[in-house]
Amino acid sequence: MKLGKLIARLAQLVPVLFGVSIIVFFMMTLTPGDPVQIMLGDQHVTEAQERALRHDMGLDLPPAERFVKFLGNAVTGNFGLSYYHRQPVMDVIASRLPATIELSLFALLLALVTAIPLGVLAAVKKNTIFDRLATVGSLFGVSLPGFWFGILLLMLFAVHLHLLPVAGRAGYSSEVPPITYLLLVDTILHGRFDAFADALSHILLPAITLGLPMASILMRVTRASMLDVLKQDYITFAEAKGLNRSKVLAKHALKNALIPTVTVAAIETGALLGGNMVVETVFGWPGLGRLVVESIFVRNYPLIQAAVLIYAVTYVLLNFIADLLYTLLNPRVRL
Amino acid sequence: MYAPVAATSRARSSESLFRRNLRLFARSKLSLGSAAVVFLFILMAVAAPLFAPHDPNEADLFLRLQPPAWMKGGDWSYPLGCDALGRDLLSRIIYGARVSIFIGASVILVATTMGTLAGLAAGYLRGWVDVFISRIVDILLGFPYLIFAIALIAMTGPGLQNIIFALAYKEWVIPCRVVRGETLAAREFEYVESARAMGAGRGYIMLREILPNILSPVVVVSTVRMAHVIILEASLSFLGLGVQPPTASWGSMVADGRSFMLEAWWVSTFPGVAILLLVLGINVASQGVRDAFDPQFHD
Amino acid sequence: MKKKWMAWGVAAAVALPTLAGAAELRVGFTMDALTLDPANHRKRETETIIRNMYDGILTRDSAMRVVPELAAGWSQIDPVTYEFKLRSGVTFHDGTPFTAEDVKFTYERLTREGAMDGQTSPRQSLVGDLKEVVAVDPLTVRFVLNAPAPIFPAMQPFQEMVSKSFVEKIGPGGLANQVNGTGPFKLVEWRKGDSVIMERFEGYYGGAADIPPTRQACVDRVIFKIIPENASRVAALLAGDVHIINDLPAHAIRQVENNPDTRVMAVNGTRSSYIALNNQKAPFDDVRVRRAVAHALDRQLIVDKILNGNASLIDGILSPDAFGKNTNLPAYAYDVSKAKALLAEAGYAGGLDVTLDVDGANKEIAEAIGAVLGKAGIRVKVVVGEGSQLVKRYRTKGAPIDGQMWLTSWGNGSLDPVGIFVPTHRTADRGNSSGYSNPKVDQLLDAAGAELDRTKRASLYAQAEALVNQDLPFVYLWVAQDLYGVSNRVTGWQPSADSRINLHDACLK
Repeated sequence: MKLGKLIARLAQLVPVLFGVSIIVFFMMTLTPGDPVQIMLGDQHVTEAQERALRHDMGLDLPPAERFVKFLGNAVTGNFGLSYYHRQPVMDVIASRLPATIELSLFALLLALVTAIPLGVLAAVKKNTIFDRLATVGSLFGVSLPGFWFGILLLMLFAVHLHLLPVAGRAGYSSEVPPITYLLLVDTILHGRFDAFADALSHILLPAITLGLPMASILMRVTRASMLDVLKQDYITFAEAKGLNRSKVLAKHALKNALIPTVTVAAIETGALLGGNMVVETVFGWPGLGRLVVESIFVRNYPLIQAAVLIYAVTYVLLNFIADLLYTLLNPRVRL
Repeated sequence: MYAPVAATSRARSSESLFRRNLRLFARSKLSLGSAAVVFLFILMAVAAPLFAPHDPNEADLFLRLQPPAWMKGGDWSYPLGCDALGRDLLSRIIYGARVSIFIGASVILVATTMGTLAGLAAGYLRGWVDVFISRIVDILLGFPYLIFAIALIAMTGPGLQNIIFALAYKEWVIPCRVVRGETLAAREFEYVESARAMGAGRGYIMLREILPNILSPVVVVSTVRMAHVIILEASLSFLGLGVQPPTASWGSMVADGRSFMLEAWWVSTFPGVAILLLVLGINVASQGVRDAFDPQFHD
Repeated sequence: MKKKWMAWGVAAAVALPTLAGAAELRVGFTMDALTLDPANHRKRETETIIRNMYDGILTRDSAMRVVPELAAGWSQIDPVTYEFKLRSGVTFHDGTPFTAEDVKFTYERLTREGAMDGQTSPRQSLVGDLKEVVAVDPLTVRFVLNAPAPIFPAMQPFQEMVSKSFVEKIGPGGLANQVNGTGPFKLVEWRKGDSVIMERFEGYYGGAADIPPTRQACVDRVIFKIIPENASRVAALLAGDVHIINDLPAHAIRQVENNPDTRVMAVNGTRSSYIALNNQKAPFDDVRVRRAVAHALDRQLIVDKILNGNASLIDGILSPDAFGKNTNLPAYAYDVSKAKALLAEAGYAGGLDVTLDVDGANKEIAEAIGAVLGKAGIRVKVVVGEGSQLVKRYRTKGAPIDGQMWLTSWGNGSLDPVGIFVPTHRTADRGNSSGYSNPKVDQLLDAAGAELDRTKRASLYAQAEALVNQDLPFVYLWVAQDLYGVSNRVTGWQPSADSRINLHDACLK
């Protein structure tokens, strides 16, 4: 890919981020609710206290002025203080982001390792009972409300079978000094396999809940693109040459069939990151999604603004990665 | 979410493409079966007063969390038991079908109409219209869906119209992208060129020439998304932003009933199963629609 | 970034070699701490967590009486001066002694404008109108107020003592993530959003002398595990993952009791639930209509069916446990014919159509109220709104209220009328969500706020409550009990009426 194209792609970030900033800022400004009153809660409060808090939060300025200030600071990566944590928003977000990333990546991994083999098999055995079952089964995955499925899993595996923990990210003794901040990776890097097993037992149920719809989608994409590839001339040709069918499938067909799967997976990961607040709530997973939803309800404007921008950047970057993968896997396409 | 549908070699045949596809669809038993399930649910929704044994909103605290008829303490006049306020679950599920299907259908109707028009305009007119619409699409896609909906409902307050608005507001982006891509391809085809040569207006070409020929992928995407919208509504209910009481949507019933999962599983399980059946029905049927309508899979 | 790294490393190094099989008490808790800085938040849940690591000069015993904790005793020298003698031999977690200078520092940090790294402590108005704090000698500290405030001692259990030298060492923002208190537990690690992990402080002085046992904490380690979803929290208790859960939903009581390993523990709460009626506009500007609603509402039925009987009815805003509660208030008994008669008298013989606003969490109760009122011809439309929006619409400080009825509540951890009666009933005060204004009530509340004689003060509040009971600006409902699910392995622990979860006395079998 040429450097110019790359820069042009990244330049797209600017209007998107600006637009997202405007929307989120004015949405929040137009939403009724007063962070000062919400914070003070049920107590006798003096006027002076209210004034001081309003000043601390910067809410004594008119909205237009706040927006300009927000934009100016945001450019330098400063999103101000979270109203309720009273700490820099970026610190608060940084403490929750790794858990969300880990959960999303692990859910993606689970989805890929189930979806690709099933999708390929379904395509190869098109119109057999296996294909039908796999197709209907995959549709099952997108037909359940996530929180309900999550609670069902929790009742079964945690309460009735006592196999897995109900909530949280790791037990007390399973924390290791962070390297990547992803617990599953770090425990292995430290050689702490007991801790790895513990972390795995915690992440399994939320990842299954989150990954199931994704697996369904990826399986269908894999099946469709595999069918498409199987009809191509070069496959027919290879088979006609008398090459072993499974070798042809593995060597030629799969590689090409995976292009759409990977592309869709990259794009869907963005949706996963932005859509996991429900799963995080059910499983007490210490991620960003839950924090953002809670922040909307208590009007924690600085945190919402920063988080939404982070999601937007991630989304654009993931799309970019999707394009990149598309080019790499399929040299015929040039961006 | 959907494999990009290539607009290859699509021309107008003597038999309407749409009718031929319909015939193909009808050949698949599975698809037909699911379509029947969906149809039954719609029938149930439309004729809810005929099916429901009770007034769905009549509360009786003495019947709180009554179990289904076949369990101990159950009663056949409340076959599926009662919810936390002692309302008949079966009747609420039957009436809830109305709300859930209504939400799904109206969101998709609004979104598809908006998205199709915007996509046609962007793909056919190109230029600044395309740039403008594409930028909006980028911005909205970069905004996490649920966060957007939650923020919008926080702003406008919960309620049926606001839920539909919050879900449709971004949903249109998806048909828009599909239609834009298809239109870009279609505008180079002969039939469009000849219409242009004959002096047809832009509006005429977009709506009468291009639109009918790109309808299939739109139908496929819309049905899949409708299933998705029904699930999303449940998520909003989970976050406390569902439909207004006493009206029940399936999503709000599952969400409200989830805290009783341990002691009264039926309250959220039956509406959950209803969602599962309907959404699965829509998805299987739409898979059939796709297999039938997508030219790539025509043997 | 690097600092954080090291902190993690140290935490892990300390944590790793600890004894296997240590007694580890886990609490399934609804909400994470917002910060660990005791002066920089206004959230009860945050305080509940922090209070296990920090002690105050005063605390409350199980009967909610204010008793000395880090203080050995206190006396009031004149209407505006309180003198506290501190206990000797108390140390912070880092081993430095606790002195009057630390108390002075703590209170100045709480009350001085801009004292928290340029920001003002959001707890400022919880302390009282403080003029100055004087460290008379290392174990004597004197508080001087700007005006007499009988509530002053009752508010001090909310303030946790920090170490002056420690804060000066780590900087003004450092307490957000680090703890050096005098409480029974030391911070091990705060995994944000997931858990707060503490271990026993071996040098603990034993806690309030009036609350036995006075010794170090019983368990080796305590973990507050954050599980916001009700169903999941109950599941975690039943599965044995946690030993205590807070905020047990009333409908889950039977499940927890039927489980052989768990039990339910209840304590009187401090949150009064009520329906705010918009007194500014018809129909609720007519006291007869307000009384009709009260008579039409079978509160006991709702308590029995929805709250499983775990609530006490109230006929005024104050909880039965609150200071100054008028125990002779007439109740508006459930009486449908009387309600209908009152409505007819007010010109609503054909019934009344009203809207009841509620937030999502209380939807079920609102719908039950609607169903019950319907039987008396008060046709209620329940509208679920978002909490922050409803606050804005109803708590208008005297400006026109946008709405008719709002099912809401007000918490009062201090159990003193100043924290609840004044803000909700005084003309145009910040919690007055009915637009109520009665100059006589205002006068009584103001007089009581400055009255130092306990008996006189209580009688002023009682008079005010009697007036309000007649005006009925709100329909008072109940004070629900706080419910906890507790594992049978836990002994020695009692829930506390101020919603604190003090784990000092808790042991694990």
